[in-house]
Amino acid sequence: MTVLDVPMIQTRGFRNRDGGGGFELRLRLPYYRGVWTNLVEGASVTVDGEHFGADDIAWSIGDDQYTLAELTSSTDARWSVDVPATLHVPRAEPLAIGLHDVDVELRVRMSYIPEELQPTIWSEERRLVITR
Amino acid sequence: MTTHRFDYGVSLYSYTGEFGTTLTLDDCIDDVADLGATGLEILGETHVQEYPEPPTAWVDAWFARLDRLGLTPTCFGAWVDTRRFGDRPMTVEEATNQLATDIRLAARLGFRFMRPKLGVVTSDLEPDPVWVPATERVLDLAAEKDVVICPEIHWPSVIKSKVVDDYLDFIGRTGTQHFGLLMDTGVFQNRRHARHGGPRSRLGEGRAAPPDVPQVPVADLADVLDHVVYIQAKFYEIEDRDGVLRDDYIPWADILDVLRRGGWHGYLSSEYEGDYGVGRAADQIRRQHALLRILDAN
Repeated sequence: MTVLDVPMIQTRGFRNRDGGGGFELRLRLPYYRGVWTNLVEGASVTVDGEHFGADDIAWSIGDDQYTLAELTSSTDARWSVDVPATLHVPRAEPLAIGLHDVDVELRVRMSYIPEELQPTIWSEERRLVITR
Repeated sequence: MTTHRFDYGVSLYSYTGEFGTTLTLDDCIDDVADLGATGLEILGETHVQEYPEPPTAWVDAWFARLDRLGLTPTCFGAWVDTRRFGDRPMTVEEATNQLATDIRLAARLGFRFMRPKLGVVTSDLEPDPVWVPATERVLDLAAEKDVVICPEIHWPSVIKSKVVDDYLDFIGRTGTQHFGLLMDTGVFQNRRHARHGGPRSRLGEGRAAPPDVPQVPVADLADVLDHVVYIQAKFYEIEDRDGVLRDDYIPWADILDVLRRGGWHGYLSSEYEGDYGVGRAADQIRRQHALLRILDAN
């Protein structure tokens, strides 16, 4: 098992994509159990005030990659508590080397909580570092 | 060593917030054995590697670890996620497959009880009606694997409710020996506990308020005790008050008294759901086990 950072937003994995086109951000599932990915509604990201909508963000979990539509319509894909997800966020220019304020809002649907109280929304902000 | 009437276990749910970050699965299970518990409860989707199909090597290591530590698998936590398909309900076949998957995996790992957490359709947690035909279809499998299916009675459900009546009707109508109630002691809480720390989350868009739930008298437990197969000893905080262990939330003495008078025997499986913090669960579970064993011996 990979031992992960306690916060949802992971220190490791925050980087500009090789070859351009955006950056990557790693999340630990902050829930107490792994989920079928069609319970995930998506995650939106804000970096230094610049907002990236959930629909534009692709995911990878382990070796598998998904668009948001693929992630939320799969009937057998899973996101485990011990396997972090990588968000692939499109952006024309790479993020500058140095500090960035990163805000993430993750939405997951829970079947055992009354519908009027759903989805459950985790939000977290961390200051992370881009090194290259 | 003092004799005791009940068996003591721990649910690995207790280590939520530490599992996968500051504690590995081995660390958690070692802790359960170290504090003197004999029963081990897990959550399938959380603790089984590559759920629902763990590698053979993982299963071998699971049994080797149980042997080494002298632990007995008790309850396997599972979910019937009726909202998986967003715009449509879960079909009977899909719910049946989910239950069958978890019964098989629970049996493969040596568990006697399987708790399905059912999707709900009302604010007082009435389960999605799909549970009835789906559960009927897996009763033969449960009998073959000797696994007892036990949905939990969990706050804000109360014992005198349609939810519980429907479960009891199901037992009466099917005559099954492989379905019972899992009682979560959180239903008897004297006051609400606001959990601090951990990942920050909110429910929905903030339109709805948490339900206003009447306090459940512990005496209500006696009425359904014959059908209670497992007790999740949910707790939030055991205080050290001038060197004396005290729980201001869950009335343990009253609960154990009802169990004792009813001649109930089985597992009290600790489920810590108090404040997050590194090392907190290990200390709190020990306090609870000490408190329960003191009451048990009296």
